[in-house]
Amino acid sequence: MKLSKLAASLTAIVLSLLVAFPALAQLKSPDDVKRGLLLLVQVSNDFKRQIGAKRFERVPHENMEYMEASEALRAAVKDEPADFKAKVETRLKAAVAAYQKVSDMSATTPDVDKLMAEHAKAVTAMNSLFDLFPADLRPDPNAPPGGRGGRGPAN
Amino acid sequence: MTNGTTLNVPRGASRGPRQFLFGTLALLSILVGCSRRSKSEQKVVELSIASDGDLIAYKPDVLTCPTGALVRLTFHHTGKFVSARHDWMLTYPDKLDALSKQLLDTDGVFAKDDPRIIAFTPLADKGGTATTQFVAPKPGDYPFLCSTHPEDMRGILHVTK
Repeated sequence: MKLSKLAASLTAIVLSLLVAFPALAQLKSPDDVKRGLLLLVQVSNDFKRQIGAKRFERVPHENMEYMEASEALRAAVKDEPADFKAKVETRLKAAVAAYQKVSDMSATTPDVDKLMAEHAKAVTAMNSLFDLFPADLRPDPNAPPGGRGGRGPAN
Repeated sequence: MTNGTTLNVPRGASRGPRQFLFGTLALLSILVGCSRRSKSEQKVVELSIASDGDLIAYKPDVLTCPTGALVRLTFHHTGKFVSARHDWMLTYPDKLDALSKQLLDTDGVFAKDDPRIIAFTPLADKGGTATTQFVAPKPGDYPFLCSTHPEDMRGILHVTK
C-alpha cells in the first residue's frame, strides 16, 4: 500500500515537472528552437560589435532585428504547452526590454563602456531565457557566430 | 545542322571533278564551322546558393565550378523573420581582409567597379532572389561574402581546372 502511494506520488511529481518544464521532455520543434536561440545570440553579438566600433546610430537597427528574432523563437514554441509558452514569453519580454534599453541608451549616452555594461545586463536576461531550454540547444551568448566560410554549416 | 544531303548533286548533273570540288568545299566549310563553334561554345554552369534561413550564413557555404565557365549564380534569401538583407560577392583570397574591413566600415557600401570584386548580386530581402553571372577565374579557392555581414557570412568557391 505504502509502495503504491510512493509510486503514485513520484509519478505525479514527474508529470508536473514535465508539464512545467517541457525542456525536460521532448520539445515539439527542437531544431526551430535551436535556430531561434542562435538567431538571438547573433543579433546580440551584432549589438556588441556596433557598440564596440562606436557605430551608435546602427544600434536601433540591431534592436529592431532582435525584436524580429524574438518572433522566430515565439514561432518555434507555438505548439508547446501553454504554461511553458507563458514562461518563455515572460523571459523573452524581459530580454527584449533589456535590449531596448541598450538601444535607447545608444541615442542618449553614446559611451562605449556604459553601453557595454548595459549590453552585459541584456545578455544576462537572455541567459535567463535560455535556461528554460535543454543545454544542447543553447548557444553560448558570448561566442562568435558558428562555422562560416567553407568551414562547415553552423550548428 | 548541316548534314551529308547538302553534298548530293541533282539527278542528271555530271559527276567527276566538279562533284569532287563541291564536295571538298562543302566538307571544308563544315569542318571550319565546327571548329569555330567549339571555340565559341563556353561551358555554362548554373550555381544556386541560399542564406541559412535567418541565420547569418550561406547554405551551402562551398561551391565548385570549372575555370573559364560562364557561371550563372542564383542567391535566395530564405529568411522569414529578420529584415536583414543579404547578397553574394566574390573576391580574391588576398583581397578578402581589406574588402571585408571596408564593407564593415561603410555598412556594406562599395563601388560597383571595385577591382577586388569579381562578381556580386544585388541585395535580396527576406524571401527574395538575386542573380549574377561571371566567367570563372583561374583555378583556385575564391572567398565569397555578404556585403552587409562581411565578417560572418562567408564561403568558398572552388574553381577547378
